[in-house]
Amino acid sequence: MVNLDKLIDHDKAVQSKAIFWDQEVYDQEMDNIFGRSWLFLTHESQIPEPGDFFTTFMGEDPVIVARQQDGSVKAFINSCTHRGNQVCHADSGNTRSFVCNYHGWAFGLDGRLAGVPLEAEVYFNNLDKESVALRQVAQVDDYRGFIFGCFDSEAPPLAEWLGEMAWYMDSWANSGGGAELIGTPMKTILKCNWKVPTENFIGDGYHITWTHIAALQVIGGPLGEAFGPGGGSIPFEDMGAQITTRHGHGFGVIWDASALIHRDPQNYVEFQQQTLPEVIEKQGEWAGKMYMGHWNASIFPNCSFLYGTNTFKVWHPRGPHEIEVWTWSLVQKNMSPELKRQVQKEAIMSFGTAGTLESDDGENMETCTRTNRGNQTRKGTMNSSMGVGVEGPHPELPGVVGSSFIGETSYRGFYRFWDEMMRASDWSAVRSNDETWIERWLGADAVSQVPSSKVA
Amino acid sequence: MDQQEAPVSMELAYQVEQFYFREARLMNQRKQRQWLETMVHEDVHYWLPITEVRMARDKRPAPTPEDGAIYNDNYGDLDDRIKRLETGLVWMEDPPSKIRHLISNVEVYEADQPDQLCVYSNFHIYRNRRQRDETNLIGGREDVLLREQDGFKILKRKINLDMRVVLDKNLYFFF
Repeated sequence: MVNLDKLIDHDKAVQSKAIFWDQEVYDQEMDNIFGRSWLFLTHESQIPEPGDFFTTFMGEDPVIVARQQDGSVKAFINSCTHRGNQVCHADSGNTRSFVCNYHGWAFGLDGRLAGVPLEAEVYFNNLDKESVALRQVAQVDDYRGFIFGCFDSEAPPLAEWLGEMAWYMDSWANSGGGAELIGTPMKTILKCNWKVPTENFIGDGYHITWTHIAALQVIGGPLGEAFGPGGGSIPFEDMGAQITTRHGHGFGVIWDASALIHRDPQNYVEFQQQTLPEVIEKQGEWAGKMYMGHWNASIFPNCSFLYGTNTFKVWHPRGPHEIEVWTWSLVQKNMSPELKRQVQKEAIMSFGTAGTLESDDGENMETCTRTNRGNQTRKGTMNSSMGVGVEGPHPELPGVVGSSFIGETSYRGFYRFWDEMMRASDWSAVRSNDETWIERWLGADAVSQVPSSKVA
Repeated sequence: MDQQEAPVSMELAYQVEQFYFREARLMNQRKQRQWLETMVHEDVHYWLPITEVRMARDKRPAPTPEDGAIYNDNYGDLDDRIKRLETGLVWMEDPPSKIRHLISNVEVYEADQPDQLCVYSNFHIYRNRRQRDETNLIGGREDVLLREQDGFKILKRKINLDMRVVLDKNLYFFF
């Protein structure tokens, strides 16, 4: 077992570099985090019809997600229960069955074993087919069309797992006809630990103006101007906020800046302004402010998105030192087809495989991982202390709210919950902290510095 | 491509090959601006579609330029990408990386339009960065070249990358 006492120091806001390199930490992550958390699978728009399937991973486990004849969604491990061969090799498609290439075992859309060649002759009809169905993912559910799966039957329901994060996401997932992912995902690799991009998306407002300065200068717009050659004109105090939630999900938001990475933002912003009254009517002024903001966000453990830049990503772990990056475009259903295409093109131009901002991040993430190969290096710590002490509960906003967009509140919230999951014996141990997590983490006196008067 | 697959003259095929070799050299020398301004038509469509792994029986259509694509660029988009490189603020290009384009299997055909050529070619692009960071990308290109007074211009380029999961961290260079 990993000695967890030396990995995360919440008081100093540091993490051991070993958690980005050591195999034994990774192995425990696969059990305690990927084995117990709800993991993003796909969006219902990717498998609209009965028989539609999509193949993905939960941790390193290959998984088939299939729309059933009754319209429900099931997910099962993409490995034959006979000798382990993969039973589906396509990214997606429509089918009635998954037939193993090895011996021809045929599994139905529901994962049950439907056909066995020579069943009577070689098994003498003694094969209990129910017992060799493809292994089902214990829980599959969707939140406003975003389909997640969880291997742990004891985990709380998906809506509870998303918790406070769901309220924030509703501002765009429950307006404008709802949200969807369009297109087939782009896939690349990064030789980095899976937590590095997750933490970057969850809370790194700090890097934007330095890492991405070249692209921002070309794009122009509010960020390009604020951080351009003159620089320094940004009003930090009123720039935005950082939020972290019970189960480690979090984001940073820049107010009134949803289209900040769009080269031609007019049509997108017009759509948002038309939709804004609906958001405010359903959820109030604060949700409207969220809706018009730009978010960098992660859903614990390995799913991230940029709302406003319309990019949605999953970081599939491939051992402690490599990930597969899957990237979709995120749109609202009521957008016109032309606007969806425009938004998608901008999203891919910035954070696609050849994106002008994407390429800036990759090497940082790889090198942040690779330096930890060094034995002495690995004995050091990562620092995420920015904004300690100016965060806490907020009278009108759920979760813990940090006072500055450029801060590390949501980093710390991510590692708080990472530590909790790594230590917990099971879900009931996690649940026992539900009422006290903020106090245990920040003390009883913590309070957000973000004033309530900030509503637009 | 819809063209009669009749061979063109050896001289024309040679000229096209030389055009591609010059293009590769400009890329290797990081002269992307010169490439854009002397070899790319202002109406260019520069396209690298995302191609799913599908079963042979899958009848869904192949990607079109209406779909999301890794590159779906017009001249202005290419210009923006090059402007970014020209800022001198792309930290991962300092120290500069090395890139080498090997171009082969050049097939030249007359297009339906008299001033256009349809050209197939293959590429092997080698990238080497920092100390030991190296990648190899192999695929093909389907071009429509426009014949102008002072040489060829790329009017369309469709890039077919022969891998589903791009075994690299990005593709921000030109093919």
